[in-house]
Amino acid sequence: MKAFPKDKLTAVLDTLAKQATLWVPAIVAGVSRFAPYGPGREVQLGANTVMSPKEALFPATEKIYEYSAYGIDGEFTPVDPSVGPQILFGLRSCDMQGILCLDDVFLTRGYVDDYYAKKREEATLVTLGCVTPGPDCFCYAMGVNPAEHAASDAQLFDLGDAYGIVARTAKGEALVSALETAGLLSESDKAPLPTGDFVLKVDAEGITEKLQHMFDHPLWDAFSRKCLNCGACAYICPTCHCFDISDKKRNAHCGIKIKCWDTCMYSEYALMAGGHNPRPSKKERVRQRFMHKLRYFPERYGKLQCTGCGRCIAKCPVNLEITDVIQQVREAKIDG
Amino acid sequence: MADPTNHANAANPLPVATVDDVKRINPLVPMKARVTRIIEETSDVKTFCVSTIGEDGMPAAPFHTGPGQLAMLSLPGVGEAMFSATDAPDHLQISIKKVGLLTEQLHEICEGQTVGIRGPYGNGFDMEAMKGKNVLFIGGGIGLAPVRSVVRYCVDHREDYGNLHLIYGARTYDDLVFKYDLFETWPKVPDFKVSVTVDRGDDNWKGNVGFVPAFIEQLHPSPENTVCILCGPPIMIKFTLGVLDKLGFTPENVITTLEMRMKCGIGKCGRCNIGSCFVCLDGPVFSLAQLKLLPNEY
Ligand SMILES: Cc1cc2nc3c(=O)[nH]c(=O)nc-3n(C[C@H](O)[C@H](O)[C@H](O)COP(=O)(O)OP(=O)(O)OC[C@H]3O[C@@H](n4cnc5c(N)ncnc54)[C@H](O)[C@@H]3O)c2cc1C
Ligand code: SF4
Ligand code: SF4
Ligand code: FES
Repeated sequence: MKAFPKDKLTAVLDTLAKQATLWVPAIVAGVSRFAPYGPGREVQLGANTVMSPKEALFPATEKIYEYSAYGIDGEFTPVDPSVGPQILFGLRSCDMQGILCLDDVFLTRGYVDDYYAKKREEATLVTLGCVTPGPDCFCYAMGVNPAEHAASDAQLFDLGDAYGIVARTAKGEALVSALETAGLLSESDKAPLPTGDFVLKVDAEGITEKLQHMFDHPLWDAFSRKCLNCGACAYICPTCHCFDISDKKRNAHCGIKIKCWDTCMYSEYALMAGGHNPRPSKKERVRQRFMHKLRYFPERYGKLQCTGCGRCIAKCPVNLEITDVIQQVREAKIDG
Repeated sequence: MADPTNHANAANPLPVATVDDVKRINPLVPMKARVTRIIEETSDVKTFCVSTIGEDGMPAAPFHTGPGQLAMLSLPGVGEAMFSATDAPDHLQISIKKVGLLTEQLHEICEGQTVGIRGPYGNGFDMEAMKGKNVLFIGGGIGLAPVRSVVRYCVDHREDYGNLHLIYGARTYDDLVFKYDLFETWPKVPDFKVSVTVDRGDDNWKGNVGFVPAFIEQLHPSPENTVCILCGPPIMIKFTLGVLDKLGFTPENVITTLEMRMKCGIGKCGRCNIGSCFVCLDGPVFSLAQLKLLPNEY
């Protein structure tokens, strides 16, 4: 396969950054996340990021339109959803799978979310096969292959002293040929390093079917007891897609409408005018989070909405771990 | 992987979105429209007629809504919320109860005000499936708004439906919405019986006094070849369902609308799910048989 030596990584990134906004895994102000590549950016390909890469396609806040209001008159002016071409470099399989979940939500079922669709269309996704799974990783249990992901535009493989690259789509070919033109690629006959052992052992087989009989199970009381409803799990998750739409006033006459990340963990999330809340306590909210990922999403879109990236396990302040939920649900006794 | 429909069955499929009729340029950005007329229904409900300006400079409906469909109405700088919309030839009618920030501001506006409107959202009632049947409408309070869009459809396509019967109640005479329809238009429609009740009587009211569920028992409508359309406050729905069951209405023939908090209206923001359904897209119209398949979380 075509490959470039690891010490040419900077030259490769410099080449790609000339063509598009290039997102790379990096540490920015102490936070491990995907960030636009530029001078001084320290790229971290060794481990996955703490924040998921979803913000490149689904920003934490984005403008949807501007409005003005003068007396009885008003105007609504849409904001262009385009951000120009982007390359997401070094995505792990779990995060590529996360993007497929977002695709299902934002691009299917009658309506398309233009803000996501445009960015998705403009993006080239370059995945990187994993060699050393992290301590919280369990993608294999969620049907994701850590070594490569078939849905990306181009796949990188760790060959030891070089990265192999294989294009899978026309966008991927354009990217590879740009690297070739820059004289950065050569042929390598080395095989990709195999993916190492997973520390975390999980089996999610049959989880959706089991949960179909567990809406009223006492386990939800137990799980929710320690949850703080802080929402950290949703913000770092590559598949959580809930958003709020709200106004940001500039002055009395104009402002912008924004779309911003939200989570079912917050008590106001489903609160209705008049005070009725279908999910009034932590129990219903925690149940919603896990039911959505493991039952409702698979029922609706045919795939699990957890990709096993392990982020929420690493970051939950009270160690409410989805893997533990999966295991206890599988072991739970149900009536009938 | 689980079969996406395996908790439903062939006789009782869960609804799936049918929104192919709407191909908007951008479903989250409202189009500019004007409030052309405001009708004061009660002390806390007003009906707003909303039009865009057509190519000929005349008022036009921003979009057409089927019975039971929804529209997102926004007041620039204040906010937006979801309401049931009733189709009229050159405008949409939206009846709004004053309950919070946006709805209070909407009650302050004058005719001519610019508003934003996006939609239509939601599945609406399946009027084809109801053809040839008698229709029993049951409404409570502002819940008559979605029911009214179905009534108007049945009245406009009178020959397609059998006998019509509306049972409607509100707290007092003053709280009855659409009085012009209840007492003038609809009683004149052939084979359309209109039965109205109020919780508390007063000098303005000569009719029945009592809650809707008890009134239904008293009127004992027949379930024979009849579809029941039921919208109102949760407490009324709860007691009415018991009565309908006693009268012999099957869950397939009781159809209702649900309300959940909504933001996007297009099944993306996650706000309005009940189990694997999004009420904004797969609802708000559900048969009781469909609701029984969903988690009891609304
Ligand atoms: C599918 C659907 C159809 C609908 N159809 C209609 C319709 O046809 N007509 C209609 O009028 N409405 C309808 N609604 C309801 C409508 O969307 C809400 O009334 C509206 O969102 C209220 O917005 P607001 O900004 O005025 O209230 P908010 O400002 O959002 O509400 C203020 C907050 O204050 C509190 N609050 C407000 N009022 C009260 C109260 N009375 N008691 C206790 N606490 C209160 C609540 O906590 C609430 O969250 C529909 C909703 C849905 C989802
Ligand atoms: S639920 Fe947790 S482990 Fe699963 S995809 Fe989201 S952050 Fe990763
Ligand atoms: S599960 Fe953990 S991270 Fe998520 S809301 Fe609860 S406490 Fe926060
Ligand atoms: S309102 Fe956003 S999903 Fe229903």
